[in-house]
Amino acid sequence: MKIVVCVSHVPDSAAKINIGADEKNIDKNGVSFILNPYDEFALEEALKIKDSIGADVVLVSVGGDEVKETIRKGLAMGADSGILLKTNAYRDSISTAKLIAEEIKLQGANLVFLGKQSIDGDNGVVGQLVAEILGFNSVSVAVSFNLNGDKIVAEREIEGGREVVETSLPAVITAQKGLNDPRYASLKGIMAAKKKVIDEKEVTVSEIGVELIKLKKPAQKQAGKILGKDSSAVPELVRLLKEEAKVI
Amino acid sequence: MIINSNKSQILDFLVDAANVKGDCDAVYFPKTAQEISEILIEANKKKTKVTIAGNGTGLTGGRVPQSGIVISMAKFNDFEIDESRKIAKVEAGVLLSEIKSKVEEKNLFYPPDPTENNCFLGGTIATNASGAKSFKYGPTRNFINSIEIVLPNGEIHKISRGEIFAVDGMLKIGDFQIKLPKIQMPKVKHAAGFYIKKDMDLIDLFIGSEGTLGIITEAEIRLIEKPENYFSAVLFFDDEVKSLEFVAEVREKSIRNRNFDDEINALAIEYFDFFALQFLKIEFPKIKNHHKAAVWVEQEINSANEEILTEKWLEIIEHFEADIENSWIATDAKTRREFQDFRHAVSWKISEYITRKNFRKVGTDTAVPNDKFVEFYNYSRSLVESQNIHFVAYGHFGNSHLHLNMLPENEVEFTKSKEIYKQICQKAVDFGGTISAEHGVGKLKREYFELMFSDEEIREMAKIKKLLDKNLILNFGNIFSERFFN
Repeated sequence: MKIVVCVSHVPDSAAKINIGADEKNIDKNGVSFILNPYDEFALEEALKIKDSIGADVVLVSVGGDEVKETIRKGLAMGADSGILLKTNAYRDSISTAKLIAEEIKLQGANLVFLGKQSIDGDNGVVGQLVAEILGFNSVSVAVSFNLNGDKIVAEREIEGGREVVETSLPAVITAQKGLNDPRYASLKGIMAAKKKVIDEKEVTVSEIGVELIKLKKPAQKQAGKILGKDSSAVPELVRLLKEEAKVI
Repeated sequence: MIINSNKSQILDFLVDAANVKGDCDAVYFPKTAQEISEILIEANKKKTKVTIAGNGTGLTGGRVPQSGIVISMAKFNDFEIDESRKIAKVEAGVLLSEIKSKVEEKNLFYPPDPTENNCFLGGTIATNASGAKSFKYGPTRNFINSIEIVLPNGEIHKISRGEIFAVDGMLKIGDFQIKLPKIQMPKVKHAAGFYIKKDMDLIDLFIGSEGTLGIITEAEIRLIEKPENYFSAVLFFDDEVKSLEFVAEVREKSIRNRNFDDEINALAIEYFDFFALQFLKIEFPKIKNHHKAAVWVEQEINSANEEILTEKWLEIIEHFEADIENSWIATDAKTRREFQDFRHAVSWKISEYITRKNFRKVGTDTAVPNDKFVEFYNYSRSLVESQNIHFVAYGHFGNSHLHLNMLPENEVEFTKSKEIYKQICQKAVDFGGTISAEHGVGKLKREYFELMFSDEEIREMAKIKKLLDKNLILNFGNIFSERFFN
């Protein structure tokens, strides 16, 4: 069985993000990059299948040379091989999905895991788009996954509860936090990862549906105001809440 | 200036992370050294005791007032990085975590790394804080270029490293002529009492003096280039003896290889005993039942030496039979942070435990010479075990620095724990070590400080305080018991 896990190379969730001079990219100076946290859940789920019934786990990622670092991490965790669809061009969700879907077809995989979203673009649609392009079944925001033959029983997180769904292979699953507890790389895994192959394929980005005009930082929060320290400040507080904040 | 005397609003200032409790009349929130100077001049007139408060993360009661007023450093928040000179000018109330993240944005790095990063810079200077990375980089002292300090009499001084040195056993600041006591500091990581050395730099007297000699309002800190990457691994062992042998070997190799980038050269060696792992298991279910100990090691690496160093680490880890399959290796900054959280979790879980039980922390902060460490560790553990008291042991084993925390269940055990604690401190002193390698003496550890130095020596140190603080108003009760001033 071949499983494809799509991984994204994203800025560290703890990094302070500044916008670059071109206003279309972030300033990468001083920012370290990590494997997209939701993709860790996706990869762990694939590795669990590999551990229990055996599978060939292939990582697929799109981007420049720097992405290899993230693919290497996935290999150190236990994936068997990696494919970098190499391009530095701007992509929207659909163009990314098309590139990935094309590769999945080539790989002949019938089970695909992705994180429910990448924490950089935050569009959260690539998984579903891939499923649509390939004509695969799709379960998004999965917090539980069970494979029996080609039958899948999964649970999805929904507002205020969980939804239990059943489907079958071929399928695309997008992973939510809670699906599993991703393993850390082991020392042997790191050594082995050095010997595993990352296949680099130059790709061309097809037409873009959504163009990025510019990046903007959220408006800075205004500093708080201290009106006083005891009950004498209450009338002024009420006046400001009424007249300035207009919340009462 | 905000002055708050509403008891219900200043409760946070009457306690610290070791659950030491106190009382005061009011908390002052000055914003400038000038304002502090005025408070101190006034306090001298009225003989009011003044206690300095950082962010309350200390473990020795240093910031806990016994009476008088508290000066909070919370409004000293200015912070400026000079990238080209690799320095930063930081006011005393800036959080260490903020300093670290802001300098890292500029590809720079500030190495002092006490496990708790939610502390004020001023506090780390006053206690000469260290932590995991001091195995390689040494304590805070090594990264302080200059300080601005308000002396107890209100004088404001800027002291820069390399400007004023002791001459013939005397140091001079303003009109004060300070006579240095003739004491020998232990040759281990040490944070108990004043830093005293022949020909010493004036700045070093104030760093680590626990706020007894003045109030640090600002410092210029030294930064270094941010390391490209780290080898960071939490290694689990099924055999405790092997884990300690591993620590000894890595420590020895690292000290020998300090100048060699392509050799084992750890910047931190952190240890967790079986009970520490049991303590952590609920939050970290990846810990296996058969794991008897864990060691977290880190080393800076770069793309050129990554491969060779990983191989060298694998070799030594295999040799000492770590559980290679189930050990953890960080592959990015996020995973490394999780390892830091794992380490931090031991300390906060202990603090949480003692607060819940409403006891004070009974945790050692001892360091001994490296060649005595295993003997010391075994002695300390068997002493606690012989009394049937629960404990967790962990610490900065690179520096032969042990945090053995006893977890008393009741008042009887608490009293017993304190007796054991004293015996462990005595053993550390007998071995040529220290009773406090990083937390300082504060108010909690004075009794043990007195095991390290003779009354005469402590009296000599106390004379320095009395000279600079003739009314004994500032952080009174820290380091010195009252009898040393009579």
